[in-house]
Amino acid sequence: MIEKTQIIINKLGLHARAAAKLSHLANMFNANIFLIYNEDKVNAKSLLGILTLAASVGNEIILQASGDDEQEAITAISDLFNRKFDEES
Amino acid sequence: MAIEIKGIQIRQILELNPLKILKIHNEKWLSNTVSHPRPQRPGLGLTGYLKHIQTGRIQIFGKTEIGYLLNLKEVDKIKCLKNYLSLKLPGIIISENIPIEPEWIAMAAHSHTPILVSELHTAPLISRLNAFLYQYFSKKIKLNGVLMDIMGQGVMLTGVSGIGKSETALELVNKGYQLIADDITEFYIDFNDDLVGRSNPIIKNLMEVRGLGIINIYDIFGASAVLEEKKLNLVINLEKWEAKKKYDRLGEDNFYFKILGMDIPLITLPVAPGRNLCTIIEVAVRNFLAKKSGIKTYLEKKKENPDENIDLSHGSR
Repeated sequence: MIEKTQIIINKLGLHARAAAKLSHLANMFNANIFLIYNEDKVNAKSLLGILTLAASVGNEIILQASGDDEQEAITAISDLFNRKFDEES
Repeated sequence: MAIEIKGIQIRQILELNPLKILKIHNEKWLSNTVSHPRPQRPGLGLTGYLKHIQTGRIQIFGKTEIGYLLNLKEVDKIKCLKNYLSLKLPGIIISENIPIEPEWIAMAAHSHTPILVSELHTAPLISRLNAFLYQYFSKKIKLNGVLMDIMGQGVMLTGVSGIGKSETALELVNKGYQLIADDITEFYIDFNDDLVGRSNPIIKNLMEVRGLGIINIYDIFGASAVLEEKKLNLVINLEKWEAKKKYDRLGEDNFYFKILGMDIPLITLPVAPGRNLCTIIEVAVRNFLAKKSGIKTYLEKKKENPDENIDLSHGSR
C-alpha cells in the first residue's frame, strides 16, 4: 500500500465534473484506491463518494492505493490533480 | 472509519434541533459544551445531594423543580441554587414556559450557565433532546453500499465498484421500494440500540447510474421512493460468480457482517449473466422474513424428523 499527500489546486475543488474525471480514471486501475480527507475515507472509484468529501481548493487530501498497479494509479491521479482536471489553463 | 464526538455547544443543539425555545437568558454562555448524550433532571440535586449531578449534562427543570424551589424559604432557596449552580453546568432548560425569578438568572449568569425557556412539556423535551444527542454522540461509520427499504426491512447492498449495486437498486426502486442512500451509507447507533443508516446530506436522494449519470430519485420517482433513514436488518453482498467457489446450496449457512460491534445477517449472492438480481434479492428478503417469523427451513425440519418424508407442499412451521 502506498500513500501520497495531494493539495487541491484547481479553483472549484472536487466538484461534480472533476469528481467524474477522477472516478473514471480510478476505475481504469485494478488497485483499491481511496481518498482520505479530514476523518472521511472514500473509494476513489465512486463518484458520489468523492462528492461527499466536499473538498475545495487549498485542501490537502491523501491518496491511498493498494494492488498490483498502485504506483501507476497514484502517479496518474496525482497528475490529474496537478493538471487542474484539465479545466483551467 | 468510526468517529467519536467529544462535545456539542448548546448553540449548535439549538440550530440543529428546534426545541421550541421562547426565551434565552445569559446568551453569552451558549457556547458551553454538553459532553453527555443524556439530559438530566436535577431531582435531589436541589436538596444539596450533588453526588450524581454530572457536569457535562444539560439540565432540565420542570414543574417539580421550579415548584420545589418556590416552596423554599428565601435563604434556603438562594443557598441551594448557589450550591447546585456552583457545578458549572453547561445549561438549564426550563419546560412549559414556567416563569422563574429574575435573581435566579443573575445567579446563573454568575456561574456562566445559560437558562433557556421552552414551550415543550418536560417529557417530550427530554425525549427530543435524548434522540438528537444520541444520534450526535453515537459512534458513526461510513460504509460503501446502497441502503434500501425492501418490504419494511433495511437492506444494504454491498460489493466491489462496478458489480451493479446501483443498477439493482434502481430496479428495486422501480418496483416500488425505497432508497435511503446510494454508494455511501452512514451508520449510527440510536438510543434503542438499533443500527440506523442514512445518506450523507450532500448526496441525499442521488444515485449514479453509468450511462445516465447522476439522477435524483426524489425528482424522478417522487416522495414515496425515498426514505430519510432506516434500521439495518440485512446485508446482501454481491460478488462475481466464481465457478470454483462454494455457494450456499441448502440455505443452512448463517453469516454475519459486523458493524459498530453489532452482528447483521449477511447473504452473499453471486452475480452472473442471466440471474435476475432484483428478484433474487426480493426473495432473499422474503426468506429472511419467513425465517425470522419462525418458519423452519427444509433442512431444519429434516434434522428434527430424519425418517419422516417431509411434505413441503404445506406450511412448514
